[in-house]
Amino acid sequence: MTPDQIPLRSSSALECRNCGEVAPLDVHFCPQCSRILALGRHGDYFAFFGLPRRLKVNAPDLERRFRELSRQFHPDYFYNAPPAERLASLERSSYLNDAYRVLRNPVARVEYLLGLEGLAPTRSDEARTAKVPPSLLEEVFALNEELDEIRELRESGVDPSALRARLATARKPIERRRDEHERQLQELSTQWDERQERVTLEALRERMLERNYINNLLATIDREAGAIGNS
Amino acid sequence: MANVVGIDLGTTNSLVAYVKDGVPVVIGGEGGDPLVPSVVSLGDDATIYVGREAQRRLLTAPGRTVYSVKRFMGRGVEDVRHDAAMLPFRVSGEAGGVVRIGIGEREFTPPEISAFVLRELKHRAEEHFRSAGEFDFEVDRVVITVPAYFNDAQRTATRDAGRLAGLEVLRIINEPTAASLAYGLDRRNRGTIAVYDLGGGTFDISILRVEDGVFQVLATNGDTHLGGDDIDVLLIGHILRDVGAGLPAGTVQAIRKAAIQAKWDLSDHLDAEISVEPAPGLPDGYRKRITRAELESMIQPLVDRTMEPCRQALADAGLAPKDIDEAVLVGGSTRIPLVRRAVQELFGRPPHTELNPDEVVALGAAIQADILVSGRREMLLLDVTPLSLGIETMGGVVSKIILRNSTIPASGREMFTTGIDNQTAVDIHVLQGERELAGDCRSLARFRLRGIPPMPTGLPRIEVRFQIDANGILSVGARELRTEVEQTIEVKPSYGLTEQEVERMLIESFEHAEADFETRMLIEARNEAESVVQATEKSLRRPDFADLASEELQAGERERIDRAVLELKQAIGGDDRELIQQKTHALNQATQHLAEVVMNRTVRAALSGKNVDDVG
Repeated sequence: MTPDQIPLRSSSALECRNCGEVAPLDVHFCPQCSRILALGRHGDYFAFFGLPRRLKVNAPDLERRFRELSRQFHPDYFYNAPPAERLASLERSSYLNDAYRVLRNPVARVEYLLGLEGLAPTRSDEARTAKVPPSLLEEVFALNEELDEIRELRESGVDPSALRARLATARKPIERRRDEHERQLQELSTQWDERQERVTLEALRERMLERNYINNLLATIDREAGAIGNS
Repeated sequence: MANVVGIDLGTTNSLVAYVKDGVPVVIGGEGGDPLVPSVVSLGDDATIYVGREAQRRLLTAPGRTVYSVKRFMGRGVEDVRHDAAMLPFRVSGEAGGVVRIGIGEREFTPPEISAFVLRELKHRAEEHFRSAGEFDFEVDRVVITVPAYFNDAQRTATRDAGRLAGLEVLRIINEPTAASLAYGLDRRNRGTIAVYDLGGGTFDISILRVEDGVFQVLATNGDTHLGGDDIDVLLIGHILRDVGAGLPAGTVQAIRKAAIQAKWDLSDHLDAEISVEPAPGLPDGYRKRITRAELESMIQPLVDRTMEPCRQALADAGLAPKDIDEAVLVGGSTRIPLVRRAVQELFGRPPHTELNPDEVVALGAAIQADILVSGRREMLLLDVTPLSLGIETMGGVVSKIILRNSTIPASGREMFTTGIDNQTAVDIHVLQGERELAGDCRSLARFRLRGIPPMPTGLPRIEVRFQIDANGILSVGARELRTEVEQTIEVKPSYGLTEQEVERMLIESFEHAEADFETRMLIEARNEAESVVQATEKSLRRPDFADLASEELQAGERERIDRAVLELKQAIGGDDRELIQQKTHALNQATQHLAEVVMNRTVRAALSGKNVDDVG
């Protein structure tokens, strides 16, 4: 670990630091002198890849773009360049890698888009998701009862294989809800890609919050399964 | 333009390679062997021995000889207590600080020991370029490989070692990735590769996707404390159970040597003999047959330990074993048949072994060095950071900022604020690891953000930016967003050297390098002088010398030669290199006529049909 200072980003980074030419947003190299541009103000991960803000992403195409951009920016190719260009290459590569990691993952992609559109979940939203979403009330009630019973039986030393079967049965309805949820996310994503309406994003945001709750339920079941396995 | 090389700085052996006409080649030593044992020994006269010579001294001066120092790089004394107990040299250091290795009256840090090995490789490469007739034979830049699973402190320690050896470290790259580059030279096609690297002290698994010349690491995992050394320890334990403990260190080293030989033999044969010559504490020596099956049952748990990282790396890459198109073996320990079988079973296909597993990493390092200086773009390595990076938050919980297996370079940000009014500094603790609690992760450094403008509690918004570069090494920057004030950061590395310490060692190493250079020159001058003395004495002992002297030597010539020999012998006994060179020259002058006479006689004898040897 080194105490290197990362220089401040100038707010006028739209100007090429080499020749002073004003470069448009989301261009990686100066149109005038073709030097690599410092990572200044920029649009977003989508624009960085030259993609529209859509949730459906063609994975092989994204991968190809990632490789092409890597070949353009990677610090390996700026080893002999002046310090400013080396820094630009480091920053641009880091940004590219971060962008690629987010965009290739469908869930991260939705979260990122919500953030871009000013709809990132807030702390109060997260507090709200700690409570049971009304649509899940019935399943959650049944599951908790079943989990309590299984726990008791486990502690009294009942045959683990019988308990495992019960747990698997209890998992089914939650899994069904998750699958349905995934379908809804898919549909809403398609809707966004077709119409780009804010109401779609708001619906996506609700689904994402519920999704956390469902995943937590599944994690609880898995923990119990682990406890049975160890007993 | 001075030269660049790639160096595989291994636990057991190190190698240097370079790209010659587009092809990577390893550089051999005098006997052609490219392996330099990563062993350093300090002579009683402060001479530093490196490599084979140092390895021989393990038997005669075990307390002054250091090996497997890679296990100590970037670590604290509390981490290495277990290893240190197995090793003959003295290991110390303050709690929570860098390990120090004591040899005789001197103390060294692991980067300093590694720097001796690097300097030897640098010298070897320079000799190679010099003898190839290059005008500028200097080696000044290098790519050094490290295990993929090395953390920030271990990488930084390796980079420090390079600097201490007088080399500019162009890049630190991961060993399995380097190996894939060397394999990738022949096969530019696309595919998913698993590189299984079991070396002397470390184990790595890397999963890569290769397409259009881009070598993208998808996931990596490993164990920086698992390798051939551990197998040796098991075998040594096996022998010690027979002969009893409490033997002198030199005898234990003799046993270690025999154990390693038996391990090697068992890779090619179904049984082997462990054979130790009689030694102090072991008057009758030791002999015992051991079968491959016995060895395998002994080391099965070690091989099993490599399987979990493999499965984890596959899971992180989102792949199943059947998705792997090719498996590649790297590291000397992959010669063991049991290891090969385990890899074959896991990936369902026979692994590649075409390239020498000892050399393939250095070859890859040489290719990467060439890419960096030449601007060649047909290949590109995209590696990942092996461990998550985070900071300690309330209650000792780690908040992850950059996740493991993120492609590097990678960056992350975190916002901080103050807890009391007008607070002007904030302490930050940076960690690496996958666990939830700071106490279970690896402490990288602590720093203090200073210069925060006085404001009410919670108002400052300090953005700390973490940047992992292409070496996998972290740097940090910070600023307060409301005032745009850049913060000063003082980094105290937890298990590394501070910048000032490196600077100081660098200055010392220059002083030593001069002394080392002087020592080398002195040795060379002595060798030269001795060969001149020998040649002269050989001529003086010729059976026909009396005859020759009376017929062809001038009056007083014999006396002048005798005096010159005597004076040179006296000079050789001292440490004055210039005097030795001067007296060597004087003897050469004194024997010039004699040499001509001898040469003429030899030629005449040859022409008259006699064998030259009969004459000489």
